[in-house]
Amino acid sequence: MSSAPSSQQITSLYETTRAAMNEANPDLGGIKTRLSQLKIGIVQITMQNSQVTHDPTFQLLKRSILEMGAEFSIKTGHIAGFERYLAQLESFYFDNKLGLAESKVMYPLIGLNLLRMLSENLIADFHTTLERIDLGQLQSNQFIVHPVKLEQALMEGSYKKVWQARAEVPTPEYLFFMDILMATIRNEVASCVEKSYASLPFSDAKSVLFFNSLDELLKFANEHHWTVSPSEKRITFPSAVDNTRQFQGENIMKQSLLYAQELERIV
Amino acid sequence: MSNNESASMDVEVTPEQKKAEERRILVEDISRNVKFLERGIAASEIHYIHRALRVVSALRKRLQPDVLGEVITTYLAAANQQVVSDCLKSILESLGQHAGAAVASAKVCEPEVAMYFGLLAQLLLLDGNEYERGAHVSHVLVAMVSSTQRRTLDPVASRVFFYYSRFFEVVDRLSDARSSLLNALQTATLASMRETKAMLLTLLLRNYMHYKLYDQAERLAAKTSFPPDAPNNLLARYLYYMGRIEAIQLNYSQAQLHLLEATRKAPLNATTAGFQQTVHKVCVIVDLLMGNIPERSLFRIPILKKPLQPYFELTQAVRVGDLSQFQEVVHRYQDKFLQDQVLILVQRLRHNVIKAGIRSISVAYSRISLRDICLKLHLDSEEDAEYIVAKAIRDGVIDATIDHEKGFVKSAEIHNVYATSDPQHAFDKRITFCLNLYNESVKSMRYPGGDHRKELAYADEAIKREREFAQELENEDFDDDVDGDAMDEDL
Repeated sequence: MSSAPSSQQITSLYETTRAAMNEANPDLGGIKTRLSQLKIGIVQITMQNSQVTHDPTFQLLKRSILEMGAEFSIKTGHIAGFERYLAQLESFYFDNKLGLAESKVMYPLIGLNLLRMLSENLIADFHTTLERIDLGQLQSNQFIVHPVKLEQALMEGSYKKVWQARAEVPTPEYLFFMDILMATIRNEVASCVEKSYASLPFSDAKSVLFFNSLDELLKFANEHHWTVSPSEKRITFPSAVDNTRQFQGENIMKQSLLYAQELERIV
Repeated sequence: MSNNESASMDVEVTPEQKKAEERRILVEDISRNVKFLERGIAASEIHYIHRALRVVSALRKRLQPDVLGEVITTYLAAANQQVVSDCLKSILESLGQHAGAAVASAKVCEPEVAMYFGLLAQLLLLDGNEYERGAHVSHVLVAMVSSTQRRTLDPVASRVFFYYSRFFEVVDRLSDARSSLLNALQTATLASMRETKAMLLTLLLRNYMHYKLYDQAERLAAKTSFPPDAPNNLLARYLYYMGRIEAIQLNYSQAQLHLLEATRKAPLNATTAGFQQTVHKVCVIVDLLMGNIPERSLFRIPILKKPLQPYFELTQAVRVGDLSQFQEVVHRYQDKFLQDQVLILVQRLRHNVIKAGIRSISVAYSRISLRDICLKLHLDSEEDAEYIVAKAIRDGVIDATIDHEKGFVKSAEIHNVYATSDPQHAFDKRITFCLNLYNESVKSMRYPGGDHRKELAYADEAIKREREFAQELENEDFDDDVDGDAMDEDL
């Protein structure tokens, strides 16, 4: 069994990796191997000396490594990895027992995590996380305000605002999740449009669904089984069948039987 | 002269006499309750123990450390278990009393009795703001619960845990109590101490929610089951916490159900006013989030009227669908909502306001331009209005179609509700509720322990009487004449 590396070794390894991350064209493969070395090192140190969890400098190092990992996952588009790093970081951000100085990337990362939840439609998690954020930050921190405003716009249905919010991202990293969110929104809009319009001309449909070209629109219409008529340049939506007036025999039967059973028990 | 003298005598003696009298009554009350406890232990009947605990709150106002110390000393000599006597000693220590000369009494000091004294000591320390010592004695008591594990200890232990957690709460160190509460939950579950388990669950939920750990609270609730026969006041508290967690996680229908039940389980009187107010505050917001408007009469109930004023104004804004009025109310009462920890929930209401606005427009106009909607609802742009209306149509808020080229919204004809199955659904909901209520009440009925034997005896007697009667019938033929004679005599 290899002996655990010392804290100094880990620190120097972290610094070189950090430098590699900051390069214009980072060598992603190399960083990945170094990152896993760092993580193993941290675990080994903790295993050997459990007292180290109360050491602020060590905890600070651990937090920086995890933050770098989260950043790296965004760069490589590894969403599950990002989620794991954030789950570990949460104890540093919300349960600060050692009194560490607040991390500079804390709010950007939390904001990113909020955006991830929105893009995966995890609204309940989104709100649970919101509850833990300090109210002052909630109203003024640009990294947090952005996803919060997005969520409000989504709930209202102001999809235009969501679309515009793409141009107002606080850091470029947000774009990664914004793009995922856009696909979700387009589907949302599609389901709304289906119900509320009888038909739409091509040009209007294109702008409503945020498409740049006609081909994309036609492909999308095909996927949703909309009727396209090229001569009139129109998309017609299938009208929803009104089945509320149908007699739901089976349901009524079930209910009556249940009542009979319960009444029998009473009498 | 003599009259005057006796009057002055009265004045001189009264305070001392009164004090001595008070002490005597207090000692008597405590020992009466201890008797109830002992009877409960002997018969393993929980409700004797409950009777002793019911008067604790009345006793709390009159408690005096030296009297309690005196009573404990008399029991200390009788403690035959090491745990119990250690426990009693540390209670005495925490009260600042010394174990005096041990007066041997014939009785045995049961752990329940020691626990009861511990509970009284906790109350004294809490009222005397001695949190450090209170926390210390609570630790000792909690340790005794886990080492003793008796079913008759259950009701006393649950109250001891309540004050244990309270000591940590007043010094704002709730997170330190969490692990021992979790341990105790495990023990209580294994020893099937139902009341303690119910208490621990509510305490833990409160603990998590204090730190806004809704995620963990939800997981705890999902992994455990709340004892079905827990006392109502614990159940009401548990339901309230559940309602809050679910409201935050957008599970509004469940939240509404739980909050409503919480208000019904707790009685509506002066002592529960605080609870009722807190629950109703959240309940109103959840109601609004669901798209319902709470009854006007709710805001007229005397104990709710004043604290619910901001919520009343909020409701009015949502009902009218006026976005600017809504924002004004939220702004004005921001601190209040923050204090009630509902601000984030309130902010979610924004789109409900818009929905209500759209609905009232759709009812009033058969055809309206998007531009007018935009102006009426104070929206930012026509495009936004179009998307919002489209979403409202999809969500079933209104029944209408949009004409994109001409830029107007056309409402569909209002169809007759009674032609759909909606009324049936409504009836079904009510019927199910009534049936559930009936079943619940049957389940919660209590039957005294030995009663079926009485009934058996009664049945035996009936059989015997039947037999006698049959015999009589048989004999009747012979007795006819005799009876006839007797009747003659009567006449």
